[in-house]
Amino acid sequence: MSAAAATRARRGPVDPYADAPDHGPVRFLHRLNPLAKIAAPLPAIVALIVSRDIAVPLAFILIALVLLLVGAHLTGRALLGLFVVLPVAAAVLAVSFGLWADASRVDTTPVLFRLGDYRFHLGSLAVGTATSLRLVAILVLSLVAGLTSSGPDLVRALVQQLRVPYRVGYTALAAYRFVPRFGHELEVIRQAHRVRGMAAGRGPVAAVRRWIGYVVPLLAGGIRHAERVALAMDSRAFGAHRTRTERHLVPFRVRDGVFVIVFWLVTAIVVTAGILRPFPFLEAS
Amino acid sequence: MTAPVLRARGVRIRHDGSERTTPDGVGLEVRPGEVVLVLGPSGSGKSTLVLALNGLVPHAVPATLEGSIVVDGVETASTTVAELSRRVSMVFQDPDAQIVTGTLLDEVCFGPENLLVPVEAVLARAEAALRQVGLWERRHENPDRLSGGGRQRLAIACALALDSAVMVLDEPTANLDPVGIDEVYAVLERLVQTGEHALVLVEHNLDAAIGLVDRVVVIDRDGRPAFDGPTRSVLRDNMEALVGMGVWLPSAMLAGRRLRAAGHPVPELPLTPTELTALLDTLVPPASAVPVGAAAGSTEIDGAVELAPAGNAVSVRGLRVVKGRSEILHGVDLEIERGAFVAIVGTNGAGKTTLLQSIAGVAAPPRGTVEVLGIDPARVDVRRLARTVGFVFQNPEHQFIRGTVADELAHGLELQKTGPAEIERQVGRMLERFGLTAQRDVHPFLLSGGQKRRLSVGTALIAGAPVLALDEPTFGQDRERAAELLDILNGLNAGGTTVLVVTHDLQLVADHASHVLVLDAGRVAAYDRTAAVLASGALEAAGLAPPPLVRAFRAAGDPAWHALTRLADLDAPSASRSPAEEAP
Repeated sequence: MSAAAATRARRGPVDPYADAPDHGPVRFLHRLNPLAKIAAPLPAIVALIVSRDIAVPLAFILIALVLLLVGAHLTGRALLGLFVVLPVAAAVLAVSFGLWADASRVDTTPVLFRLGDYRFHLGSLAVGTATSLRLVAILVLSLVAGLTSSGPDLVRALVQQLRVPYRVGYTALAAYRFVPRFGHELEVIRQAHRVRGMAAGRGPVAAVRRWIGYVVPLLAGGIRHAERVALAMDSRAFGAHRTRTERHLVPFRVRDGVFVIVFWLVTAIVVTAGILRPFPFLEAS
Repeated sequence: MTAPVLRARGVRIRHDGSERTTPDGVGLEVRPGEVVLVLGPSGSGKSTLVLALNGLVPHAVPATLEGSIVVDGVETASTTVAELSRRVSMVFQDPDAQIVTGTLLDEVCFGPENLLVPVEAVLARAEAALRQVGLWERRHENPDRLSGGGRQRLAIACALALDSAVMVLDEPTANLDPVGIDEVYAVLERLVQTGEHALVLVEHNLDAAIGLVDRVVVIDRDGRPAFDGPTRSVLRDNMEALVGMGVWLPSAMLAGRRLRAAGHPVPELPLTPTELTALLDTLVPPASAVPVGAAAGSTEIDGAVELAPAGNAVSVRGLRVVKGRSEILHGVDLEIERGAFVAIVGTNGAGKTTLLQSIAGVAAPPRGTVEVLGIDPARVDVRRLARTVGFVFQNPEHQFIRGTVADELAHGLELQKTGPAEIERQVGRMLERFGLTAQRDVHPFLLSGGQKRRLSVGTALIAGAPVLALDEPTFGQDRERAAELLDILNGLNAGGTTVLVVTHDLQLVADHASHVLVLDAGRVAAYDRTAAVLASGALEAAGLAPPPLVRAFRAAGDPAWHALTRLADLDAPSASRSPAEEAP
């Protein structure tokens, strides 16, 4: 194992606090303001929520994937998720949503298969696919910001551009530290309860009882920890003034504006084309 | 004489909802460059007092404050905590609860940034602070990747970056292993040498601290001021009073006291391990104090072991444990005899807790590798396991599952399908044994720290387990709580219970364990009687530093002292007891 690999192994899978890495001018998404990356796909996401057909979500999925492939430095894990897990999930969702679709509205379309009295129509699959693609498109669009921004940068941008009070932003960031700690603590509590024979009993009622048993010690520990962190932050002048010195500026530059406007224009074109329906064979029903 | 930077007069603090006023009328003066140690038994209000020095009491912690605390000309009661942070900085006990940001550099900059210090000055301060604690090279790393000692050094750097006249440290090493404690004190020593920082220290680990301290302020059990003066005169002139009060003293001093009681000429009590070594070199070691090798084990606690019938409580054969992708234990073989008091020691990541959990069946070991009194923890059900081995988790709250203390104890017996009358009888007996009778209907979470610990031991024992396993039972506890627990464990052990303890506290090991198991990177580096292991150098080979007393004895010129490892070894038959035992 090389030294670098060893470092990575020790660091664990993700360091949510790591500085946003710079992967060069081609991987431009990493250099954009996190707010721009959230604002740009917002109209598209709203359009997807109200859209019914297959072409619009498909177009947005393609746009987002191309953006990510070109503009983002993707790890092997992210690539696997985007190009293997996501299509499989989309297919499963399409069939599942199809089963839920109202069969009376699509009973003119050919029957794909039967289960006893139940007939699964091509129309059902089309409706299921449309719904599933909408969900996938929303997910992929949010990944444009999600895979290329760091938590601290987002907080800084919220404080610097949106004038969110820094007390709120930095408290949220500090609270994020609790998550792995809670995870570990929960694991120990479950172990302890198992040893004491709390695992007895199966089924949902016993499971709920077990979880209530975990919550009390978890909360007791969590509140104590939060109080200590608060005292430590107070002792270091947190909240002394309305603003604080910012060493890392996360500016909103011309390129951020260009990115947002271009993305909005593309969104408008895709949505307009979707309404005009130039590809009737892609229509769900 | 320079004027004090911090002056507290007649400080009385009562927490909201509490009857007690602790501290009660305490005064404190700190001059530039001075190191002041605040001493007192549990409940004397030491921590409350230091929280008042930067205004957290009463501004952030609801409490009433009487008297006056003036720092750098500013009255704390009428100034915000944020404003006071320019004058008084704080380092707390738990390193994890002081980290807010994602890199060491951001963390150190956090304080000055809040104070609107310009960027260049923030960076200059951060660099100076990180260099002082030896972490500048690691400034871009996530604080999570530092060891406990490293994170506490980071907390000191954060305090330094505030550029305050006074730094307050509240039990800064209570959560650290011996290596971490040494790291923190190496940093503090350098700070004190610069003469630029006044420190106020609350600390139980006096062996490490005492060399730095100029002045001691002692608060008694009721929060009243007891003594205030230069370290040496306060400790030496009032030693018996301090011992009676339940204040922990440097182990070198307690050793000197015992030597004196044993009839040695001790003109002046030693305070540091170095002074103890110097004292030993002037003394003639008595014949009785020369237990060498195996003979060293055959005093006091071990006597019971010798009489116990032979036979193994625990056998481990070729135990390998894999977690995730890495193997934690690489083939452990071990035989622990019945009635032993075994301390499992090793550096972080050596596999101590994993081994203990495998033995106790908390995490099932591979089948056929572990046998505890004839059963394989990997194959038996919870009920049978609970009758054989009890496990006490590091944090007692984690294992409480019922609504009252009595139910908590009864739970283990209900699992065994014991009859109600018998349960009632046994619960009553256990409540009495652990001094919890008055609390029988209290919710376990509302008990005090010591009571919780006793209850957790009681629940582990109530099903009749003859083997008790404890994971870091003294971690983060003050000396008094630790001593109380060890008294319980010694009592159980004397009654025949086999005790296994994972611990970082090597003086505890030396004083109480009959056997020591040294783990090094997933392998058994040594397993033998305590004295033999301490004398063998196995601790050092595994990256552990021997406890201060052992180091002091071993540094003595006459090799006759070298085999001594604990205070009890110094006793003449009539010598008095240690403060741990005398504390109520």
